[in-house]
Amino acid sequence: MTPTSALAALVRPRVPDERHSPEPVPDPVTPGTVIRYSLRLGRRQLIAGSLFTALHQGAETAVPIVLGEVIDRAIAPGDPVALIVWIAVLALLFLVLTSAMRIGLRNGTRGIEGTGHALRVLLVRRVLDPRGAEGAGPGSGALLSTTSVDAAGVGMYNSGIRRILSAVGALIVAAAVLLSISVPLGLFILLGLPLWLLLMRRLAGPVANRVRAQRATAAQASQQAADYVRGLRTLTGIGGTEEALRRFHHTSEQSRGAAVRSAAAQAGYDGLNTVLTGVFLAVAALIAGILADQGKISIGQIVTAVGLASALIGPFSIIAGAARLLAGARVSAQRVADALATPPAVTEGAGRPASVVGALDVDIASLRLNVAAGESVGVVCPEPTDAIALLNWLSRKEDPPSGAIRLDGVDIRTLRLADLREAIGVSAHDAPLFSGTVRDNVLAHGPADRLDPALRAAAAEDIVAGLPDGVDTEITERGRSLSGGQRQRLALARALAAAPAVLVLHDPTTAVDAATEARIADGIRADRAGRTTLLFTSSPNLLSIVDRVVLVRDGGIHAEGTHADLSNAEPDYRDLVLT
Amino acid sequence: MIDSFPVAGAAQSRRAILWLLRDDRPRALGGLALVVAGLAASMLGPWVLGHIVDLVIAHSPISTIAWWCPVLLAVALVQGAFTATGSALVAAAGERIAALLRESVLGRALRLPQTDVEQAGRGDLLTRLNEDMSILSTAVGELVPTLLTAGLTILLTLGSLVLLDWRLALGALACLPLQAFAVRWLLRTALSVQRSMRQAASLRSQEFVESVDGADVARAFGITESRERRFAAHSRDSMRWSLRISLLSTKFFGKLNGGELLGLATVLVLSFVLVRADAITIGTASAAALYFHRLFDPFNTLLGQFHDAQGALVATGRIIGVAELPLPSAPVNPVHPRGSELTVRGVWHEYQPGRPVLHPVELTVRPGAKVALVGASGAGKTTLATIIAGVREPSGGTVSIGGVPLSELDSATLAHTVTLLSQEGHVFHGTLAEDLRLAAPGAEQSLLHKALDTVGALGWVRGLPSGLDTLVGEGGWQLTVTQAQQLALARLVLADPPVAVLDEATADAGSAGARELERAADAALPGRTSLVVAHRLTQAMTADEIVVLADGRIVEQGSHAELLERQGEYARLWAAWAAARATR
Repeated sequence: MTPTSALAALVRPRVPDERHSPEPVPDPVTPGTVIRYSLRLGRRQLIAGSLFTALHQGAETAVPIVLGEVIDRAIAPGDPVALIVWIAVLALLFLVLTSAMRIGLRNGTRGIEGTGHALRVLLVRRVLDPRGAEGAGPGSGALLSTTSVDAAGVGMYNSGIRRILSAVGALIVAAAVLLSISVPLGLFILLGLPLWLLLMRRLAGPVANRVRAQRATAAQASQQAADYVRGLRTLTGIGGTEEALRRFHHTSEQSRGAAVRSAAAQAGYDGLNTVLTGVFLAVAALIAGILADQGKISIGQIVTAVGLASALIGPFSIIAGAARLLAGARVSAQRVADALATPPAVTEGAGRPASVVGALDVDIASLRLNVAAGESVGVVCPEPTDAIALLNWLSRKEDPPSGAIRLDGVDIRTLRLADLREAIGVSAHDAPLFSGTVRDNVLAHGPADRLDPALRAAAAEDIVAGLPDGVDTEITERGRSLSGGQRQRLALARALAAAPAVLVLHDPTTAVDAATEARIADGIRADRAGRTTLLFTSSPNLLSIVDRVVLVRDGGIHAEGTHADLSNAEPDYRDLVLT
Repeated sequence: MIDSFPVAGAAQSRRAILWLLRDDRPRALGGLALVVAGLAASMLGPWVLGHIVDLVIAHSPISTIAWWCPVLLAVALVQGAFTATGSALVAAAGERIAALLRESVLGRALRLPQTDVEQAGRGDLLTRLNEDMSILSTAVGELVPTLLTAGLTILLTLGSLVLLDWRLALGALACLPLQAFAVRWLLRTALSVQRSMRQAASLRSQEFVESVDGADVARAFGITESRERRFAAHSRDSMRWSLRISLLSTKFFGKLNGGELLGLATVLVLSFVLVRADAITIGTASAAALYFHRLFDPFNTLLGQFHDAQGALVATGRIIGVAELPLPSAPVNPVHPRGSELTVRGVWHEYQPGRPVLHPVELTVRPGAKVALVGASGAGKTTLATIIAGVREPSGGTVSIGGVPLSELDSATLAHTVTLLSQEGHVFHGTLAEDLRLAAPGAEQSLLHKALDTVGALGWVRGLPSGLDTLVGEGGWQLTVTQAQQLALARLVLADPPVAVLDEATADAGSAGARELERAADAALPGRTSLVVAHRLTQAMTADEIVVLADGRIVEQGSHAELLERQGEYARLWAAWAAARATR
């Protein structure tokens, strides 16, 4: 970095460019390492910010000192030259003050934002980690609050340190000046202020409790409101609107009561604070007056001392509140660390298959399912949880407790996850779409020439034809602008477009009518001809196009054969599929 | 029809707040008066100090100086007591406004036509209800009192300077042009930047939620890195706006500093001249300098919290924009339907002009009959179902129940007359009993049990950790898709409407669950005039009448047997359905 660009970055901090991707937080991820990470990441801004904010605070503190000098040296003796000199000093002081403020604050913000950005990206990276997350994990709502609030909250640690260092800087300047004016007065102010702050901190406890209660009820109210809006269709459908509003009125009134109590406590606290500050300043003024009367200090020094006593309240409160400020940032760091350190569901493999033929062997406890390369198999699971478990194991969302699944004879747990998922494509019946164009959605992973064949096979051409800009139409809010059946067909087209060696589809046509389903069944058969395909479904339309159907029950294969065979021979199968 | 939720301008917001304040005006004004009185008392401080300076210069005895100490104490006491009481009163008034707005926004969200709300964006509405509302309540609780105190302190300090010496006060005003210029500059530039920042943050959140919800899909298609890049770009964008705000605010503070210097220098030079001319004492000069110095803090507070104040204004505008949306006018002479016969006359609909999805439809459903709506995807089934349920207003034509057009029913009557079960199987946060009672407020526990039993859900409900008192919904016990739909049917039984519309309620349950739900629906519907959007033709088979839609037109109508005989569209659909099920 050249000196000029370094200076420019100091005065006008910039956003990192897109090539700059944040480094991971070093292991083990704990609140401590997250904070250290954030401090290291923002060290340049932290140093610059602290230095300049300290300079700013110091200059602010020096203003009453200069005022005292103007009165003593210019106004009291009536000396015009001194007046010009001291006004010039005052102007210079303001120049330093304002420049330091700019650089300090901008670097402070850049520090907070830089940390916030890095942690947000890391959180998203964790969410998207190929190894997944163990257990259900926190919901999207909780994670959203962690990314939007806590990621920046960790940055408050930098900001806290910056403010504390600068307050200490101001304090040192003021203490030196006060003690040089008068030792007793200086001691009274420097010892009295912390005592007063300690007393106020004591009283702050009950106020904080009421504020917490108020925040909790406010959060409850907004959660309830959001819940009703998310369930809007359900609510209006059953005519529950008025009852919902009645309930919300109740919550809202509770919240209001808590807010009024909290505000009253806060006002009382502030009032007491005012009284105590007043008492403190009155005594300081009295001491200064008496000292001046005895000729021990000058007139200007009364102004300086009283001015300083009130100017010091700010820096002292920052130091007194430091612990709380840093504790708040630590709570945020804890949440970020928890989210980042969520244990992965599966471990990464190292193997890279040269070319995938597509033979699949499932060998888990009593379940043995061998699928030859190029074969299509229908899997019927009367227990939905069996289907989910199998799908999760195939996509390595989780691993089976025992046994193994082998692709071309190789345990899939030894393969790199990215390669495995490229080889085995698993698509759930409710897989969401992303906002973006239809083309981008369908070609998530497929080559451009797969667009039309995939849309055709999924019987999704008419959807595209009905959209204003065809395949370039933007899908909004996760496809809410489309009907359930349309979304499902586009998701199916996406799965087909990727053309994996092994394709696993789960109930791909639940929201589609029978005639379209029959077209889709033909489409899938043509598109997947000669490639391994597993269909988890109980739809006869789909089951009639596969080479073989297996009925999975009680952890094993209960029956297998063609759709026609099973329909004839298996009463259970007929019950499940044909009624 | 609204395309997006409006944002209220400053004038509209002001009017709305004054209107909401109407009942609390005495309390708010009384509180304000107390705050003013308390702050006015505090103005004696510097004056007393100036007086002490003069006493010192005059070499008065220490006892005379000490006498002023209780005056300073009394000032502090009065200031503390008055401002505390006053600001508590003002806050109480403010919290009422916040509560009224909160309820008003949710009221609009739930009472406006659902199609309007969805068109304008539920995400936007959620942001307003959560983030904007939280900004507003912080503003009411913390920001407004701080700004009020700061603003009043500035006014009173300037007033005190006038009382001290009008010439010095005039000198202090030298800072005003610069400060005014700074504020004008800020108002011109900052508001739009503030809006853009909120917008960027909102997009970032949306992108995040999409990544979380679609994480499995992103992993399956190996697009996790591009998702991360997309999010990072949004995150950088919001960071860029935050830095712009910081840049603006520091420039603004710089301008304020300039004003302070100018004012302070003028006061000092004037003091010098006036003291030399013996027009004022050194004590007065000291007091003036202290007064002016005391202006720095409130000035910085008032103008320094512009960031938050602007944010609060934007949030308030967004909230009032929704809170003041006109509700659909209630019919002048609301009537009650006589009976439950359903008639559809010439109903057609288009979402985009010139692209009709429904051509004029004529349909009559006898009271208590069950009609199945059958057709290919995109044939207009859902559109027709939502129009019949009164959720969507058709582009033309009328739907009547018991001879009364839906548009002549007030919303409460409509809600009690037709129930729509949609695909969205939302489970509300709270206990299971509370969820059910949304459909039937105050229903006895035995009634809830009976409804659950009807739809075959009593078994699993009894098996829940605390039965009906189990917490469900977000953060609670997670129900399966089938269970959630059974719950929806139980709500239908409890709401007990004469007309029921079921739209694809079975679609997401998977094929095994779908059969269970069909049985539950069959148990919930008897006695009601019902319209069922049938995906599985077994649902249609048991209906009294089947209506076949193709490309937005009714192409066939009749019983299962009649339609099979006709060898038309339905027979074709049935053949496809049955062929797959045929035991060869």
